[in-house]
Amino acid sequence: MLNRIGTIMAQAKDLNTHRLQNKERTIELAYISSLCDESKVSDFIIVPFMKEEEDFLTTLIHNPNFTELNDTAKWADTLLRGFVLISAEQRIFTLDAARIIRSETPQTQVETAIMGSQIALSEDLIDSINIIRTRYPSPELAVEETTLGNVSRTRTMLVYDNRRVDPTVLANVRESLRKLDVDFVQAAGQLERLISGRKRGLFPTMLITERPDRITGSLQAGKVVLLLQGSGFALIMPATFFEFMHAVDDEFDSFWMTRFLIILRYGAIILTILLPSLYVAVVSYNPELFRVQLAFSIAGSRSAVPYPSFIEVMIMLFMIESLIEASVRLPKYIGSTATTVGGLILGQAAQQAGLVSSIMIIVTSVVAISNFVVPVNNMSVAIRFLKYPLLVPAIFFGLSGVAVGIFVYLVYLADLRSFGKPYFRILGPTKRHTGDIGQVKPS
Amino acid sequence: MSRYFYYHIVLVALLNLMLFVPHILIQYRYHGAMTSMAISVVVGTGLCLMFMSIMSKYPGQGLPEILNRFLPRAVTLPFMVFMAVMWIIGPSIAVVSYAVLINRFINPDTSPILVLVLLCAVCLYAATRPTMTIIFLIEMGLVLNLPLIVFILFKAVRNDAINWDAIHTVANYWTQMPKWNAIGAASYIFTGYANLAVYNRAMPPNVRIRHRWTIPLIGMLVLALTFFVPIGFHGTESVDDYLYVWSMTADSMIMSYGFIERVIFVFLIMYLNLTLIYTASGWHQAIEFLKGLAKDYKPEIDGVPMKKAGMIIGAAIVAATVLYLYFFNEKITFRLSEYWLGFRLVVEIGTVGFLFVLVRKGKTRS
Repeated sequence: MLNRIGTIMAQAKDLNTHRLQNKERTIELAYISSLCDESKVSDFIIVPFMKEEEDFLTTLIHNPNFTELNDTAKWADTLLRGFVLISAEQRIFTLDAARIIRSETPQTQVETAIMGSQIALSEDLIDSINIIRTRYPSPELAVEETTLGNVSRTRTMLVYDNRRVDPTVLANVRESLRKLDVDFVQAAGQLERLISGRKRGLFPTMLITERPDRITGSLQAGKVVLLLQGSGFALIMPATFFEFMHAVDDEFDSFWMTRFLIILRYGAIILTILLPSLYVAVVSYNPELFRVQLAFSIAGSRSAVPYPSFIEVMIMLFMIESLIEASVRLPKYIGSTATTVGGLILGQAAQQAGLVSSIMIIVTSVVAISNFVVPVNNMSVAIRFLKYPLLVPAIFFGLSGVAVGIFVYLVYLADLRSFGKPYFRILGPTKRHTGDIGQVKPS
Repeated sequence: MSRYFYYHIVLVALLNLMLFVPHILIQYRYHGAMTSMAISVVVGTGLCLMFMSIMSKYPGQGLPEILNRFLPRAVTLPFMVFMAVMWIIGPSIAVVSYAVLINRFINPDTSPILVLVLLCAVCLYAATRPTMTIIFLIEMGLVLNLPLIVFILFKAVRNDAINWDAIHTVANYWTQMPKWNAIGAASYIFTGYANLAVYNRAMPPNVRIRHRWTIPLIGMLVLALTFFVPIGFHGTESVDDYLYVWSMTADSMIMSYGFIERVIFVFLIMYLNLTLIYTASGWHQAIEFLKGLAKDYKPEIDGVPMKKAGMIIGAAIVAATVLYLYFFNEKITFRLSEYWLGFRLVVEIGTVGFLFVLVRKGKTRS
């Protein structure tokens, strides 16, 4: 066996191959020491073999920790997943001795809630399943395992509630996972882009979350959850646009305040998408839209600005996007410096130098702040982009251009489906017995 | 699922402003507009209920499939082309008059042709989506726009500037004989039911559309608002001077609080959305009719992106619409709209009656 492994695997310092001998027989073992817990190797194999309290072959056959492997083609694969290969009397056995480096129980960092669960999913698949199972103790919970990626062989778990899941959605998910042909899968967001069907979509059609309470909630609603080894985030599908606007807090904070916050979030995304293009439209085309006093104060604040409004908007949007990008990329310790320099000093100075109007500074900060109100990060990033295409019709057609642009977004949203389910449908089917629209296939 | 039926009714009823219905009715205000409106409520509701009962017998099927079931293809083909043309004209009038309206009220410096090209391109994009997309689009469009439109209408009715005497004066001419063109214009309010011709493909079986009694009520309310409110604002005589009478009416109102003072901007943006949705929906139906001409056509309502044929048909419709605006002005558009509305009523009565007889006889070909 060892010679063959030598031919399959490339030369590697951490590939350990041993030949052991006791009075009765000789065994060979092979493992990759960097992936394995060596104390397990010695506890389960080397020590019992040398002590010779019972025949080692019987141990191999009867101990459930060892499983027999007949397929030679799977050797490399099993080794790379942290298994030990043991060869005794022409039979090959495997032992799971994988050692995974993990931090202590991770805290929620991306999607925080004040009173919700403070524990996030783990980067290790088994730990994540553990977290989900303890929160969802139902015999109906089904867990399927597959591997994705021709090279990365990423272990992936498909979790759903067997009784509540929509079978067509499940079939859809399995089908798109099966059809996936890609070398490396490393992050949940990458997988989302690969299986959503639209390679250049504007909106995410699957929720990406690290929160176990959101996952259990979705399982209960009959959704399918995908977990990836090495990524502390889960994919929830199907999703609707409106789910991205709900934080988990909405379920357990004060009723009226949370309803108010939901409305506020919609108001915020409308502002963050519309304000820059509305500014261009109002300043350059339709100043008569606003009441006279407001129109005058906008025009007055722009009096020192020497170029058309869309240049002004582009300068400020470039600044604010660079600022956000910088504060994501910078180490945490310098991050606050960047925001102070950018936000306070530059904004003030740019306005006093007459490069941009003070109204534009307000517009920019409202755009940036309202963008962060969206609870789910991947939707927040998607919405961040939406203001740019709207600028084009605003520059050429003014107010009517903005309205037409919004209409195109509405059509696009109405056209999206998440695994066969409508994405942008505010009211669901009313009553079950009346049947839903589009239920029958036309003949 | 009755709400998906009412969306069409409400959308078309609200869109009457874009097809010059108020202006046509106001022209006949001393010559039988009142009686025409009363008759149109009866006729419109009757047609609506008959068509609903016919289509509910064939869930998941559109008008082309039902016709093919009973008649040979040689008869249905020209009929479908004719229906498609009828479905193109209405939305095209709406979008053309809206392009002119934008030129008059929002962008006086931009050429209406350019605006029309933009609107048509957007509608082409929307109309070539699957049927289910259009249904969801109508739903979302109404959910977003209706509250503001109701707000504007409420503001209009409760406005101090309304002269109720003028309304009383016009209402006193209720003894005049009805006129065909006025009936045609007024009955347009109810014509939303005709959209079932294609959208019935998405209707589930055994659906009972409830609250049918609201159809005449919605119609009467919309008719009364669309006809009397401008008269109240502009007076019995000068109301006739405006072609876009409702835009002028909206411009007669102000909102004293908030950023936007002139109601007309809110009104125009809302109606821009509604017009685009209406045009997309109408063109979508025309495209579906024309695609049904192909022998091996299988209707699909969801998921399948529209084939090349649909895009080509849509592009042809857009080209025709743009050329129309290039050659004709809004006076002619108004005349066209008036004749189209009258002719449409004839066609609708004919089609629904014909279908009724056909289904009654129940003789299936094959």
